[in-house]
Order: sequence, then C-alpha cells, then structure tokens
Amino acid sequence: MSSWVTGFSIVVTIAAYALSRVVARRYPSPFTTPVFFSTTLIILVLVPAGVRVADYELAKQILGFLLGPATVSLAVPLYKSRRTLLTNTLPALAGLVVGSLATLATAVVIARLLGLPDVIRASISIKSVTAPIAIELAPILHGSPTLTAAFVIATGMIGAMFGPWLMTVIGIHDPLARGLALGTISHGQGTAQAVVEGELQGAAAGIAMGCAAVFTSVVAPFLVPILG
Amino acid sequence: MRTLIIIAVQITALLVINRVGYTLAAALHLPLPGNLLGMLLLLSLLATRVVPLRWVESSASVLVRHLGFFFVPITVGLMSLGELFLDNGIAILITLVVSAAIGIGVAGLSSQRLASTRDRRAS
Repeated sequence: MSSWVTGFSIVVTIAAYALSRVVARRYPSPFTTPVFFSTTLIILVLVPAGVRVADYELAKQILGFLLGPATVSLAVPLYKSRRTLLTNTLPALAGLVVGSLATLATAVVIARLLGLPDVIRASISIKSVTAPIAIELAPILHGSPTLTAAFVIATGMIGAMFGPWLMTVIGIHDPLARGLALGTISHGQGTAQAVVEGELQGAAAGIAMGCAAVFTSVVAPFLVPILG
Repeated sequence: MRTLIIIAVQITALLVINRVGYTLAAALHLPLPGNLLGMLLLLSLLATRVVPLRWVESSASVLVRHLGFFFVPITVGLMSLGELFLDNGIAILITLVVSAAIGIGVAGLSSQRLASTRDRRAS
C-alpha cells in the first residue's frame, strides 16, 4: 500500500516538474518558476488524492538523493566566473557582505516586531541563501527546512519581480552592482533575472549567490540567536 | 553507453565529495551545511587544478540546471503547514518584502560606490 503511494508521489512529482519546465519556457513569469509552479501543482494533486505529508516522506528521500551532489556542482559555475570576481574583488565582496547582513538583520528584527513565532523567525533569517544550502542550514538554526524553502523561493520571486525596478528608482545603474544585489538577495531566481540584463550582471549574480551563501552560513549561527 | 558510464562516474565522484563535506562538518563540529563544504572542496580542487574542469563539467551542468527539482519534494511539505501560513501570512509577506528591498538597496549601493571609486582611479 505504502509503496503504491510512494510510487504515485514520485510519478506526480516528476511529471509536475517536467510540465513546469515547459510552462516556464512558454509563459515566462515569476509565477511559472518551476519550483513554485510544480509545488502548487503537486499539492493540488496529492491533497485530493488523500496523500498526507507522512506518506510523502519516502518519496521525498528518494527524490532528494541527488540534492547534495547538485549543490556541490554549484562549484562549476562559480569556478567559471572567477575572472569577474578577481577583477572586482572589493566592490563585489563588500556589496555581498553588507547586503547579506542587512537583509538577515532586517528580516529577524521585523519578524520579531510583528510577533512571528520562533520557528518562523529562525527559518526566515536565511531566506536569501540559495535553497539547497538554506535547507541544510535551517536545522542548525532550529528552523524548519520546509518553511525555509518556502521563504527562499518567495524571496527569489520578490527580488526577481521588483529588484530591477527598485534599483533603477534608487539610482543603481552599475552593471556589476545590479547583478551582485540580485544574486545576494534573490539567489538562483535573481541570477536568472540578472542574466537577462547582461553577461556581467549574470556572472556577478552567480558569484554573489555562491559567496553570500558561504558568508551567511558562517555568520547566521552566531547572529540569529543574538538578534532574535 | 559511454556517455552513461561517464555520467555515472561523475555523479559518484560528486556524491563522494558531498559525503566528505558532511563527514568534515561532523568531525570538526562546524555549524556548517555539509553540502556547502562539499561545494567549497570541489571549488578548491578545480582552482588548484587537481581536478580538471572537464572531469566533472557535463554532469555538474545538468545537475545545476535542474537544481530546482531537488528541492521541490521539500516545498511539498508546505501542504501540512498551510495553517501556520494563513495565520501569519501578512506578517511573513511584510518581513520578506521589506528585508529583500533593504538588502537589494544596501548591496547595490555599496558595491556601486566602491566600483565607481575604482573606475575613477583607473582612468
């Protein structure tokens, strides 16, 4: 019985992802990003079919088997864009360090002012870290990987949707700075948006996404308990 | 067939590097995700040319392109957290939007300021 449920869950998940890739290509929009779109689709199929979270657990473990190697693979694009980092070391590092600190601190402080519960505060603090790393960082901070993943994806959508407009309004025109800000705050989805703006923006965003994840992983275990 | 074997070998190597990352984090009591250490390990192997890019490139590119797929199963867990979201929806949205806007502004302005002083010195 349970193996049927697991098999069904796996098929639904893969099919939804495959479909979401096609939809994303045909109708590009923040609401058709594959992760957002396929998650919505899967929940809409599984809930009426009577599959509960506990039933999905085994499917989740099987499908997540390659998450680790996929995260390790991020070293490849990072290595390829090393030249951009080496020629812009100071502005790049300063921007991503200050930006990561600013977004982490404001997220925790606002969440606290609005009275959000502990588990949400811990999970929301690292919403700018790229999802595969944030998911692993969440338990270290006593947050929930699932909540963190949702916040990370929402942040990716928010930054990709409004980031370029906001930067134009406040006078950020330098291509390196624009890419860097998008990658630091909105990780993968921000990087995808930066690539649309240009090659330098895309490379800067990719570097910022990787380096900001490293930086936040190192400082969050110390900063989050102090702030929140 | 040849391609399949190459992909299998490359993915096994990436799995091993990932495993080493987790072992390292546990052994050194580092409060860091093991997969992050694995990524840094591969980056240093590439930078020191111990591992040539072409040894891992093809599989790594495919995995990175479909990185999103691997965390879909985790976000599906949201189906049991709907209530927590509905109860705190507005507060969560405000937190996310404001912190993202401040982060983008601060990151962009500080790096633009430094980039422009550098450009002036260069010219």
